[in-house]
Amino acid sequence: MSPAQVEGLADTYATLIEENGGKVLKREHWGLKSLAYRIKKNRKGHYVMFDVEANSDAVNELERQMRLSEDVIRFMTVKLDEVTEAPSPMMSRRDRDDRRRSRDDRDDDMDGGSDDERGQIEEDSVDTSEEENS
Amino acid sequence: MAMGGGRRPFFRRKKSCPFSGPNAPAIDFRDVRLLQRFLTERGKIVPSRISAVSAKKQRLLAQAIKRARHIGLLPYIIR
Repeated sequence: MSPAQVEGLADTYATLIEENGGKVLKREHWGLKSLAYRIKKNRKGHYVMFDVEANSDAVNELERQMRLSEDVIRFMTVKLDEVTEAPSPMMSRRDRDDRRRSRDDRDDDMDGGSDDERGQIEEDSVDTSEEENS
Repeated sequence: MAMGGGRRPFFRRKKSCPFSGPNAPAIDFRDVRLLQRFLTERGKIVPSRISAVSAKKQRLLAQAIKRARHIGLLPYIIR
């Protein structure tokens, strides 16, 4: 799965949240990372993170859609007590990310740029508790 | 006490919790590098009696590690 496709898929989920009365506060693309273990025969996946403020209906619908999607190999929704403005540790750790990216690039070259590795979307949504109650 | 004096074989330095105090790191399941310090080389969670993490923080830490494992950031086992 190409980065553009991942972007498109993330867009559809973002609009899905908006349509169900939620709000996307933050969105991060962590890029293609190697997984710590094989998930559904995949060794690598694209990670996408959303910080979302939404009620349970929107989250349920989002999770339902992600379960149906063939391209999402794993997702997780986490409820946060507070929203942090700062980017997640995954983004701030630049040195580590760069190192990882260069290694991934090299792997891709050895594969001959084949895109048979299916993309993975990791979603994690943030529900502020006040929003859930309303 | 017999063992209480300075440099007996059983003397143990008092360790403090790495997640307590003014500039302690926040426990976050996305912070893989931080979590990795609390895993053994086989990928198990280090017991708090070794790592000196307080009981409260150990619960949060275990939760964060399990979340990171679920989304494939950390391994369940390293063979």
